[in-house]
Amino acid sequence: MAERSFSEEVKKLRCGDGSVFHGEGILAITKALLQSGVSYVGGYQGSPISHLMDVLSDAQDILGELGVHFEASGSEATAAAMLSASINYPLRGAVTWKSTVGTNVASDALSNLASAGVTGGAMVIVGEDYGEGSSIMQERSYAFAMKAQMWLLDPRPNLPSIVDMVEKGFQLSEASNTPIFYMMRIRGCHVTGEFVARDNVPPSYSNRTPVTPTREPEKIILPPFVYQHEQEKIARRLPAALEFIKEQKLNELFPGQYDSLGIITCGGSYNTVIRALQRQGLADVYGNADIPIYCLNVAYPLMPDELVDFCVGKEQVLVLEEGQPEYIEQGIQTVLRRRDVQTRVFGKDIMPMAGEYTGQVMLEGITRFVLASSRQDVPLALDLSAVLSLQTPLEDADIAALMENLPPRPAGLCTGCPERPLFSAIKQVQEELGPFHISSDIGCHSFATAAPFNLGNTIMGYGLSLASSSGMRHALPHKAISIMGDGGFWHNGLTSGVTSAVFNGHDGLLIIIDNGYSAATGGQDIPSLVEPSLIASTIDAERPRREQWQTIEDACRGAGVTWLETVSTYNIEAMKATLRRALGSDAPGLKVVIAEGECMLNRQRRVKPMLKQAIASGQRVNKSRFYIDPATCTGDHGCIRLSGCPSLTVKDNPDPLRTDPVSYVDNSCVGCGVCGGNAHSAVLCPSFSQVDLVYNPSGLDRLMHRLRSRVRTWWRGRDLRRQQQLQL
Amino acid sequence: MLVAALGGEGGGVLTNWLIEVAQQAGWHCQSTSLAGVAQRTGATIYYLEFLPQDAGPKPPVMSLFPAQGDIDIAVTSEIAEAGRMLSRGFVSPDRTALISSDHRVYGITEKSATGDGTVDADFIIELSARYAKRFIHFDLLELVQRHGTVISAGLLGAIAGAGVLPFAKSIFTDVISSGKGAAANGAAFEESFQRAASGGVAHFEPEVIPPFVLPEATTALGGRLLPKVAGLPAAVHEVVYLGIQRLLDYQDEAYADDFLSRLAAVAERDGGDDDYALTRETARWLALWMAYEDIPRVAQLKCRPSREAEVRAEVGAAPEQAMQVSEYFHPRIEEVAALLPSGLGRRLLSPGITRRLMEPFLGPRKLRTDKFWTLWTMRRLASLRHRRRKTLGYEQEWTMIERWLGSVQAAQSAGLAQAIADCGQMVKGYGATRHRTTSRLMQILDEVEQGRVRDASAVRGLQSAAMAGDDPEPFEQALMQGQ
Repeated sequence: MAERSFSEEVKKLRCGDGSVFHGEGILAITKALLQSGVSYVGGYQGSPISHLMDVLSDAQDILGELGVHFEASGSEATAAAMLSASINYPLRGAVTWKSTVGTNVASDALSNLASAGVTGGAMVIVGEDYGEGSSIMQERSYAFAMKAQMWLLDPRPNLPSIVDMVEKGFQLSEASNTPIFYMMRIRGCHVTGEFVARDNVPPSYSNRTPVTPTREPEKIILPPFVYQHEQEKIARRLPAALEFIKEQKLNELFPGQYDSLGIITCGGSYNTVIRALQRQGLADVYGNADIPIYCLNVAYPLMPDELVDFCVGKEQVLVLEEGQPEYIEQGIQTVLRRRDVQTRVFGKDIMPMAGEYTGQVMLEGITRFVLASSRQDVPLALDLSAVLSLQTPLEDADIAALMENLPPRPAGLCTGCPERPLFSAIKQVQEELGPFHISSDIGCHSFATAAPFNLGNTIMGYGLSLASSSGMRHALPHKAISIMGDGGFWHNGLTSGVTSAVFNGHDGLLIIIDNGYSAATGGQDIPSLVEPSLIASTIDAERPRREQWQTIEDACRGAGVTWLETVSTYNIEAMKATLRRALGSDAPGLKVVIAEGECMLNRQRRVKPMLKQAIASGQRVNKSRFYIDPATCTGDHGCIRLSGCPSLTVKDNPDPLRTDPVSYVDNSCVGCGVCGGNAHSAVLCPSFSQVDLVYNPSGLDRLMHRLRSRVRTWWRGRDLRRQQQLQL
Repeated sequence: MLVAALGGEGGGVLTNWLIEVAQQAGWHCQSTSLAGVAQRTGATIYYLEFLPQDAGPKPPVMSLFPAQGDIDIAVTSEIAEAGRMLSRGFVSPDRTALISSDHRVYGITEKSATGDGTVDADFIIELSARYAKRFIHFDLLELVQRHGTVISAGLLGAIAGAGVLPFAKSIFTDVISSGKGAAANGAAFEESFQRAASGGVAHFEPEVIPPFVLPEATTALGGRLLPKVAGLPAAVHEVVYLGIQRLLDYQDEAYADDFLSRLAAVAERDGGDDDYALTRETARWLALWMAYEDIPRVAQLKCRPSREAEVRAEVGAAPEQAMQVSEYFHPRIEEVAALLPSGLGRRLLSPGITRRLMEPFLGPRKLRTDKFWTLWTMRRLASLRHRRRKTLGYEQEWTMIERWLGSVQAAQSAGLAQAIADCGQMVKGYGATRHRTTSRLMQILDEVEQGRVRDASAVRGLQSAAMAGDDPEPFEQALMQGQ
């Protein structure tokens, strides 16, 4: 189960005809899928589309009632391959993932799907993880749509448009036998709004109404059919798509009084365009603009006739297309040249080639466009210098001083994270064995590349750390070290990493972090999830098994790994010893260390209510947290340099003689024990204590407590008398 | 409206409250967010736009991007984040009301410095006041913790109280009156509302801190010691007074006398610049160094009378609730040797039978200091302090102390003397860290004595390089450049 419950969101999926749905964009899409009669849904979690997966996996009962099949796919490739169900049969299906990374993983299946073509509507909902808030390299999904010929939808970011475009998208897919990309930007996924819902539609084919198996050899991607497929894409599917887009008016035309000018924008950027025009006094808040706008809710394919109709009679148009290369601008130029339309097209010559089209960028660009245009009668509320000066009101000296005083806030491991002690251990072993080159991977553990651990050199992709070490291992002074999460391991680390490494006699060290969930994407279940059900102090690593448990150990052994050890990450000493052994071992072949410790976010979500309940029901419970003695802490913060735990912070020194802040454990501490463990293994200082509060103490507890406090009180008396004698 | 919160602070909850308030008031509200997924320490941004519903024929087209010069209300849950809003241009003097809690949540680079790496929050407050149209700030964290709730409730109160949104207070209170923790949220909302309504100004009697006056002697001991303190410049009385108190607790009267006599010598050469900073800072670091943390000292602090109460308060233990305290100790052969007479101690440090005999008493151990026997052992260890003067550790520490004091005295210029005195701050940490910091201090003194370093700025440069962290690189670099 994901890190939080989505029961509220799931209820919204039941909205029927006429009722008003309130919520986020990504949830609106989820509802729209059910309204469109999808037969199957799959995907791989990742921001910004995780919620689509989370909500559906919490909505099993609704899906069951409708007969919709849902799978949390093993990878984006798995998800893409699901779409083959729509090749032979009129089954509507949708899959989702984070793009462009997910699209890259899925590309093999997508190319073949696009070549064969589809009978039932097939849709890929891609979360375009681009711009502020993104967690990946900055690329566009657009290129893939063009080279495989899949249509790319980029609707205006308001819920009615978003929902309508899902239904239209399936129709377009079916009308043109072509799979569809439905692109959602980060802010579009999280935008809130409302739309009038329709009843959910049960799929025409499902476990209740199975299809009759039929074979269509010409849809298999083997010669000679592949040659026909390419011809068909151009001769039949593309024209069909253009026809459908035209008659359904999927792209929108907004007239304006200055009709010798025009703006061509992608749907996703429409709202930003309107705001910029509004600030220049050229539009109102309802989208009535003075400059005509042609809005591409279908970003690919381009519509030659519509483009020509829009541009004819216009002296200048501005193309607003986020990111690079400027495919749309190039496409438009081609269309206009072929039809010999002389309209001057502005685009990346006045807009930034790289980066998001934010409010400020859009305002600057549109201002430059109007000033560069032949229309001198267009009134601008703000001239260019006024627009540029909006960037910041701060004087240079203040900016410089401010930058000195802004602490960076890199995303880091959560309080009590089981991965923290692993990296503390690695950092300590590195102190002993000299600098390490570490191949890192995608996941929470990639935060170890930042302060305070600063461990890790490269990240090549999800589950690819071990693979990426193979070109390096012969040229390293130490055994190659790769770190992989359990998510990455199951995604493709097992095949492209472990299997290949064993086959090639890779003798390096692979550390697999087994925290039970796909934690970085929101704590979704993965094959090796275990379900602990015991109340325990948060320090223990007690982990009972679940049924049909797929273990990472068995998977590695099955792939031929012989040197394999599983260590609880919280046992720093054992971890250090194991790492030393692995790095020192002469044994041939891959050394795999499975670093085991449940994701603390999920653990706390499970354990907290159990603790509460246990305390309420009168059970004896020990609640642990850590404490730093300000009297013995000298303020060197060595503990923080080995941890970076959010709950391990600093505060003003209570000692009037000392000037540096002391280390301090705040109340968010979950008692994982790592700071104490580090104090031991790195021989830091005697300032750390574990404090256990005893709830519902037994008779013996109470007795011992009373006796002990008596003794302590008596001693305290003597000490106080001694201090009296030292009065000045 | 732009809301910048830190991960896990409930920025999403706050946003949902605001949306509900707007809807109840008959306004459109669109929000969007860059919330990250499970990363709990990064900054998260929420952006909201509001418009009256009855204003037009069709739904409005609202932006998903905050834009420079286009923000009416910027809300931040922590003061450094207010600085970030300024740096990104989201605070406009003619337009933006900036509402922020002025508590600090330290960033990792601030926390991990070997000394004090925290940024200047007062500067950010001053800058915010200068550039925001209105700047409302107060410690929301303290406020919400008093009411036993989270910061989002306090922020909602501040937003409502600031009167920047055209919605009646009753609607806000209505919205947060349901759900769990409603009572605490309501109380936090109310207080925060009042604070913001009064422009963030709280009404309180400023606490007056009178200048330190050396107290009259009340005991024979005081009669002997305090006059010697009085002999020093008034500007250093407070630090010296604290110093002798500490050393009396640490050792005895004679030890406090050692402190005073050495200090008198330093005061001799002090020209009095900056309120006798030389004597004052020497006194500070000398007192702390003389009270170095050996096993008896740590044991003494672990069973100090005030400790149990401090711990109970910190962890919020109920009266009479049983509490177990397990201390993390890791005695090394060095610490044990430091307790023995010099000769014996040295023998222990050299590999041999004596050393092997000690092994079982060394290494990591977790001890329950709430238990009788552990506490008894601690008290025995603490009482070893009476023999401290004869120990190897005492000899080693004092060799270093005298060297440091010596070069403070020998320094050519007042500035250099001050810089060397301030290096006393470097003495900190335990085990390897303590060894690193002190040996680097000694290296700096080498540089000074051998005349390779002549001016204060050079010494300060070496000091900051030495404190840069565990990595030896920066300090070695600095030493090379010095030569």
